[in-house]
Amino acid sequence: MPRHKLIASESDVSIEVDEGKDNEFSLYYVEVEENSKGGKEKQATRDGKRRRARNGEVSRRRASEKRTTNMANKRAEKKHEKHHKTTRKEGERHRKRQRRRIADEEEAEEESSKEKKNIKNERTKTLKLEDEKEKDVKKKRKKHVKNQEDDANPGKTKQKDCQDVPLKEKKKKRKKPETTSESESQSESQSESNSDSEAKDNQAVGVLGSLTPEELEKLKEAVDERKKLITTIKGKPWPMKKKLVILRESQEFVEKYEGALGKGKGRKLYAYKVLMMKKWMKFERDLENFKTACIPWEMKIKEIESHFGSSVASYFIFLRWMYGINMILFGLTFGLVMVPEALMGKPYGSMPRKTVPREEEASAMNFAVLWDFGGYAKYSVLFYGYYNNQRAIGWLKFRMPLSYFLVGVGTVAYSYMVVIRTMARNANEEGGGDDTSFNFSWKTFTSWDYLIGNPETADNKFASITTSFKEAIVEEQESRKDDNIHLTRFLRVLANFLVLCCLAGSGYLIYFVVRRSQKFALEGLENYGWWERNEVNMVMSLLGMFCPMLFDVISTLENYHPRIALQWQLGRIFALFLGNLYTFIIALMDAIQLKRAEEEIVKKNMTIWQANLYNGTVPDNSTAPPITVHPADVPRGPCWETMVGQVLGKSSSEFVRLIISDTMTTYITLLIGDFIRAVLVRFLNNCWCWDLEYGFPSYSEFDVSGNVLGLIFNQGMIWMGAFYAPCLPALNLLRLHVSMYLQCWAVMCCNVPQERVFKASGSNNFYMAMLLVILFLSTLPAIYTIVSFPPSFDCGPFSGKNRMFDVIQETLETDFPAWFGKVFSYASNPGLVLPFLLLLVLAIYYLQSTSKTYKRVNMELKKKLQTQNEENKKKNKLAALKAANELEQARKAGEQRSNSASDLGVNEESSSLDEAGHHRQAGQNGRLIHPSQSQHAQSSEPPVSSTHTTTRPPASRSHTASGHLPGTDGHALWLHCQKNGSQRGAGKCHGLLCPV
Amino acid sequence: MLQSVSCGSRKFRIWSALKMVSPAIALAFLPLLLTLIIRYRYYFVLLYRAVLIRWVRDCLTGLSREERAFQYILTHATPGDAQSILDTFDHWCSKVEFISNIGPKKGKILDRLLQEHCPITVLELGTHCGYSTVRIARSLPIGARIYSVEMDERNAQVAEKIIRLAGFDEDMVELIVRPSDEVIPRLREDFGVERLDLVFMDHWKRCYLPDLQLLEGSGLLGEGSIILADNVIFPGAPNFLRHARRSGLYEVRVHRAMLEYIRGIRDGMAELTFLGIK
Repeated sequence: MPRHKLIASESDVSIEVDEGKDNEFSLYYVEVEENSKGGKEKQATRDGKRRRARNGEVSRRRASEKRTTNMANKRAEKKHEKHHKTTRKEGERHRKRQRRRIADEEEAEEESSKEKKNIKNERTKTLKLEDEKEKDVKKKRKKHVKNQEDDANPGKTKQKDCQDVPLKEKKKKRKKPETTSESESQSESQSESNSDSEAKDNQAVGVLGSLTPEELEKLKEAVDERKKLITTIKGKPWPMKKKLVILRESQEFVEKYEGALGKGKGRKLYAYKVLMMKKWMKFERDLENFKTACIPWEMKIKEIESHFGSSVASYFIFLRWMYGINMILFGLTFGLVMVPEALMGKPYGSMPRKTVPREEEASAMNFAVLWDFGGYAKYSVLFYGYYNNQRAIGWLKFRMPLSYFLVGVGTVAYSYMVVIRTMARNANEEGGGDDTSFNFSWKTFTSWDYLIGNPETADNKFASITTSFKEAIVEEQESRKDDNIHLTRFLRVLANFLVLCCLAGSGYLIYFVVRRSQKFALEGLENYGWWERNEVNMVMSLLGMFCPMLFDVISTLENYHPRIALQWQLGRIFALFLGNLYTFIIALMDAIQLKRAEEEIVKKNMTIWQANLYNGTVPDNSTAPPITVHPADVPRGPCWETMVGQVLGKSSSEFVRLIISDTMTTYITLLIGDFIRAVLVRFLNNCWCWDLEYGFPSYSEFDVSGNVLGLIFNQGMIWMGAFYAPCLPALNLLRLHVSMYLQCWAVMCCNVPQERVFKASGSNNFYMAMLLVILFLSTLPAIYTIVSFPPSFDCGPFSGKNRMFDVIQETLETDFPAWFGKVFSYASNPGLVLPFLLLLVLAIYYLQSTSKTYKRVNMELKKKLQTQNEENKKKNKLAALKAANELEQARKAGEQRSNSASDLGVNEESSSLDEAGHHRQAGQNGRLIHPSQSQHAQSSEPPVSSTHTTTRPPASRSHTASGHLPGTDGHALWLHCQKNGSQRGAGKCHGLLCPV
Repeated sequence: MLQSVSCGSRKFRIWSALKMVSPAIALAFLPLLLTLIIRYRYYFVLLYRAVLIRWVRDCLTGLSREERAFQYILTHATPGDAQSILDTFDHWCSKVEFISNIGPKKGKILDRLLQEHCPITVLELGTHCGYSTVRIARSLPIGARIYSVEMDERNAQVAEKIIRLAGFDEDMVELIVRPSDEVIPRLREDFGVERLDLVFMDHWKRCYLPDLQLLEGSGLLGEGSIILADNVIFPGAPNFLRHARRSGLYEVRVHRAMLEYIRGIRDGMAELTFLGIK
């Protein structure tokens, strides 16, 4: 059940009390009523007579019905709606069960019990004058009949008339619900409606109006007990259903009677206080629910989690987290760079850098703009080249270049901070411990994933647990057998060698392709087809798709545990992606050098061109306004920054396009690999010669590691390119948003739960570490370009400066007072900076060493606990042995005695009353004990034998031990459990292995 | 002359179309190819052993596969000893050629079932070479009877020889050479069968479901009758399993195992316990 629903159901009104308590309470209830009635006694007595007449009938009927079994009760339950009258008398237990379903009915039932009490009181009153013995006899009969309401009777009769002052407030309060329930109960119990309605007017009076201190005390105790129960219910070893029901009932109880516990004048205030408290708590709970509802995609993820286990869900949680980060990155770039430039910067067409050049104009609105981000998209706020180097723009005097630089630095700094913080938090959760030492216990007690809610997944999980058990046993045997470690080592080395070969091959292929694309670019792309132009993209994404599959196959050689295998797999894919990315970046650096050489030439030409322009058109008048040349016609440099952001040597690879093509590949593989495959498998299966679902293609599993890595690398590219293309975070946001929905749908629609469902909690930090490495590696080239290359002379916010970071110095000089610059220059003096750095390093070292010590202490504590546990275990074992011996002796003695006793024929006494108890005992022991024998054993050695019969683990132990050991089939145990579900002991094995 | 030119131009066109896909892209598909080959290597082995070798041997010897198997058994096994015959069969199938028998591992499951339930009347669909018939017959109680149905004439001849070689007579094993869907409705009239305790299915996987339905309709199944179907996962009988699970007439249990005589291919046997018609 989803959490918020649970909360909702908790907050809703509900019930359950155990039986004795309920009765006690109804006693108070009744009595108060009776007292408050006062003047209406006459009518009551009239009613009472009628009631008494019926009561005799009722008791007779009850006596007969008592014999009916539980089964009969259940059957009768269904008929309840019609025959309310009969069922009502069937005993409290039954009524309670009813109560769960129909909350309203509860009221009516209370009334019924109330009525009975009423009757009783009436009767006791009339019988006051009669003989004490007669009374007792009657009560006894009643006790016998009802099984319950007994304890308080004598006391009650005495206290009855002590207090006559009803609280009118209470009366009114009570009256409302009473009347409503009255009508309901009327509709339900047609036959009794007449007499009931008469009586209810009398009964609809304050319940708690007048209670004796004793009763109050009892009530208080009861309420306290309920409260305690509510808080501790989580730890109770009950099935969920029972827990819920009990929780509801006790909440109901507490809610009703807590208010009545105050004294005298304070009572009202107290009640008010309690009411407000309730309201406040309810509000808090609602708020919590609301908060859960506000978490984006929470329900979707929970649903996936219930179908596929936590490892798949962890991917989606990661995706959501990534979405959050990108949201902030996007907010920064959009709010501080793109919007100000779009609003306050010079408009499109005012400068050469903001205009599409003449030769591109024809194709600037082609459809390819969407795909390539060329044309108008290239000359817009989306890319670095569009920005002007004007220091302050608009009426706000917005420092555009400074803002651009700071946002670039800020995004990277923020990403580092977030990733490191998350890593640190995860590290805390891990808590060092050795998973390997108690292999089987770990498997037994921790292998179930409690978040699974889908039967198929549960089956898979179950199968995987059993197989893992089998494997573990085999493994253990083999490890003892001293298996061929050399072969394993050789295989592992071989696997790594193969992987390395594969990596080298893919790296070389990419290098080759990038070089070729440069050749194409030099010769002019027009001569080549679509394949050549998109070669780099294609090859990169194809390799990224197929190589992990190959790694996966190779990794079966190594024979690692799945979790370790997953990490190796992740590491290898990581290496592959990284290699590919860096090959690409190296090629990019080459391209930048080329562009810069080109730029030099253009600069020279530019001066010549300008000279020609001025010479040719304005020969005589030098003061005339400068000739207006359309900005599209002005020659310009190649602007390598935009190129990094957008185009590599006019060929095909660039960040934006890389990301777009990457996204496209992801979606297309998703559609073809998962959806089409699923459709084919599903619908061709009926007319195919082998089983498609179980056999060759089958449905695909969700590839967690591949998807996570894809996400991480995508993010890396965003970080790398974001400085030169402010649009990248926006694009990524879009992509993540789409993939959230698409992948959620695809997972639910066409994937099957993994065969090896394992928990992902351990690998979370692994992902984070990878993200950190990627972050570092992707900011490295960006920083390198910023630091070592001068910006282009005619595009971007830093044009005309020697280096991009000069903008800070410029700001310091012009925008701040002089003293600030001085302070800054002093502060940046190496004499100050170096000691500061030293201090920093020292502090880090200190913190690290302290944390290490803490960890060690923790480990030692853990070890201590373990040894203590073991000692305790030994002690307990000894004690148990001793007790067993004693029991054995006692039993022998008891048997001897019983042998002598049974000759006398005491068996007669074991009549119907005790029979039930004996049956239960026999069931618990798992073997048949002769009633008389056990009875005598019990009577002779009550403490020892009773504890042993009850503490002995119920039949389940024998079931689990005998059922499935040969292990032909994983389902054997499952079926076994289900078969024995009705028996008492099987509950345990359910709790352990089956979804609750 | 003209023709050759046009032919040449077509060739050129195809060549250029091939060239359009650059070698680098083609190379990028290499990992996929390798993956597929490695992942499905067992299936390739199976293809080689079950199809290619059989075809070559058929051409070389002129005998059918079953006859070759019989020759081998005749020369290597002890007549009258069922275990020896089964062992020889296993040896031939795993070392020499491949025949899809039930195999030793799944055979153990079958043996256990037989020991547990002691069926009196057994129907076997798909005798093939008689391996499973011998296997069943040797662990049946005295007085039990097997009706073994085989469609193919030549196979039936081989099977009969093998059964007789193992020492089981006609009272024990009744070989019926007819398609299963003709036999089942007539079991009651022609052979006087009242109730089937065990049905073992190992014939065409497509026939599992129709035959099961025929069995249901014939009324030969009683409460507690067991239907054991081999190869339900590979090559697989999905419809059969689906029907068995959904109809509510059976308690279904799938024993997972490996395909016989070959490594790495998963297979299973379905054990259906008839619960009786309500």
